[in-house]
Amino acid sequence: MNTRSLRSASTDTDTIQPAHLFKARVKENIKVSGRFYILKATPETGFFVPAPLPGQFFMLGLDRRKDPLLKRPFCYFRVRDGALEILYRIVGKATFLMRELREGDRVEVLGPLGNPYPLPGWGKHKKPLVVAGGVGIASVFPLLEALKGKAVLFYGGRSRDELVLTDELQGMTSELHLASDDGSAGFKGAVTDVLADYFKDKKKSDFIIYACGPNGMLKAVCGMGLRGYISSEEKMACGIGVCLGCAIKTRSGFKRTCKEGPVFDMDEVVFE
Amino acid sequence: MRSSLNKKNLEVKIGGMRLKNPIMTASGTAGYGEELSAFYDISRLGAIVLKGISLKPWQGNPPPRITETPCGMINSIGLQNVGLKTFLKEKLPFVKKKSDVPVIANILGNTTGEYAKLARSLDGEVEGIEINVSCPNVKKGGMAFGLDKKAFGKLVGRVRGDIKKSVMIVKLSPGAQDIAEFALAAQEEGADAVSLINTIPAMAIDINTRRPLIKNVIGGLSGPAIKPIALRMVYQAARAVKIPVIGMGGITTGQDAVEFILAGATAVAVGTATFINPSAPLEVLEGIEAYMSIHGVKGVAELIGGAVTGCS
Repeated sequence: MNTRSLRSASTDTDTIQPAHLFKARVKENIKVSGRFYILKATPETGFFVPAPLPGQFFMLGLDRRKDPLLKRPFCYFRVRDGALEILYRIVGKATFLMRELREGDRVEVLGPLGNPYPLPGWGKHKKPLVVAGGVGIASVFPLLEALKGKAVLFYGGRSRDELVLTDELQGMTSELHLASDDGSAGFKGAVTDVLADYFKDKKKSDFIIYACGPNGMLKAVCGMGLRGYISSEEKMACGIGVCLGCAIKTRSGFKRTCKEGPVFDMDEVVFE
Repeated sequence: MRSSLNKKNLEVKIGGMRLKNPIMTASGTAGYGEELSAFYDISRLGAIVLKGISLKPWQGNPPPRITETPCGMINSIGLQNVGLKTFLKEKLPFVKKKSDVPVIANILGNTTGEYAKLARSLDGEVEGIEINVSCPNVKKGGMAFGLDKKAFGKLVGRVRGDIKKSVMIVKLSPGAQDIAEFALAAQEEGADAVSLINTIPAMAIDINTRRPLIKNVIGGLSGPAIKPIALRMVYQAARAVKIPVIGMGGITTGQDAVEFILAGATAVAVGTATFINPSAPLEVLEGIEAYMSIHGVKGVAELIGGAVTGCS
């Protein structure tokens, strides 16, 4: 119910571009820090990349290999100088191989896919508050741009190395709160603890929350009695809604992260 | 468009069903046609095989449901589906509106009675009905029928009586000790065709958490990893029966499809490849056509079962 009323109030959903499958050439593949990299890829033969919206994602594959076989989902990070940029963290076989990509290498991309974050149209009086954990920062990065510096950002990671682009983020937010597991940057501990502390002297209903990160973080955020949206990260095979592999439990049964999500109303998702 | 001089006959027949080319989608990889039709005209397929349906809606298995393994993937979706009623009211009309090619429904029940009721309700509503007796991801029914020859024969015979207008296809389990026996049993009970293989029961473990990567522990393996096994089973089944065999299992290219046809398949289904590229079935079709051009093959029918014995 909530979703419908919030979604209809959003002005973004009707501008979602249809997804395309396209080949792209690697322009640059650079290490940011820790296990974080940015891949920049330019679509071949002048293919126009439809403007993705914050919260959407792309499936990216290493040009038709059989191993790894499937494409992997990556949040839309940004488009700059005609190149699609993906901020990724090395976690498994596919991202390990992605690290080896060099200028001129070919990748295959499908997207943009999924539903974007609804911008706070229904509650302009509400202050946007963004929570990111780990590589979840990639998903909220374009959202912070769209919120034009008005958002308060809570950003947590393992260590200073794993908290990336903090200088840029500083300029994109009204407040930046960092947390790290080892205490090498910001608060030592969970980002959700910083968040809980922030709300000690504030009214929760004055805020609209956007969160992306590991399930444990999302579960904690959703348990705080706030209103807003989360972007869920699930394993996917197809990204277009046919394999039913990325199911997430909601109040109205299993939903596909790729098709009904990846952005869900916080009230909708059921964490086990 | 190709010139008429170059025209190849891609048409094949499965029972009374005429397919303009031998390419189908594999059940569970094309949904009910809605998502794929955003990427290509599904009328270009030989036939579209829809996601399996049961009498009542099934919510499916808890996540994680999928994991990738070398050259393949394991899934345990658990036949999440909208159920017969919504299928007939919403899903089927949509796919019929979007395409003019034969539609094949895939059915799955917990009991023989459920299969029979599904068959009766769908008979004549769709061009083909594929009886799924080989899903590894549901507790009752499914593969239980596909591995017990007596129960299998009884089920096929019973459902045959309920399918009068549509073409009846039986989807075989790769778990069968002797696939030829099951193919033959399906033929004897009156099936119009058999399709194979379904996914192969498999598992994977995360050594860091020491937990299985699939919540249900065991799921079904698909993708190029299973292709040689699928090809062998299609070959064995096709040699045993006179009815058409629909081959599938790891087909990602036209060459793969030609292999299956040479092994004896009349038609082939593209499954996991669709997850990598929504238009994979059409690319496979183009690959078959290219093969035919290069080798001067005028009709697909010439290729069916054309593998010569002995090594090359």
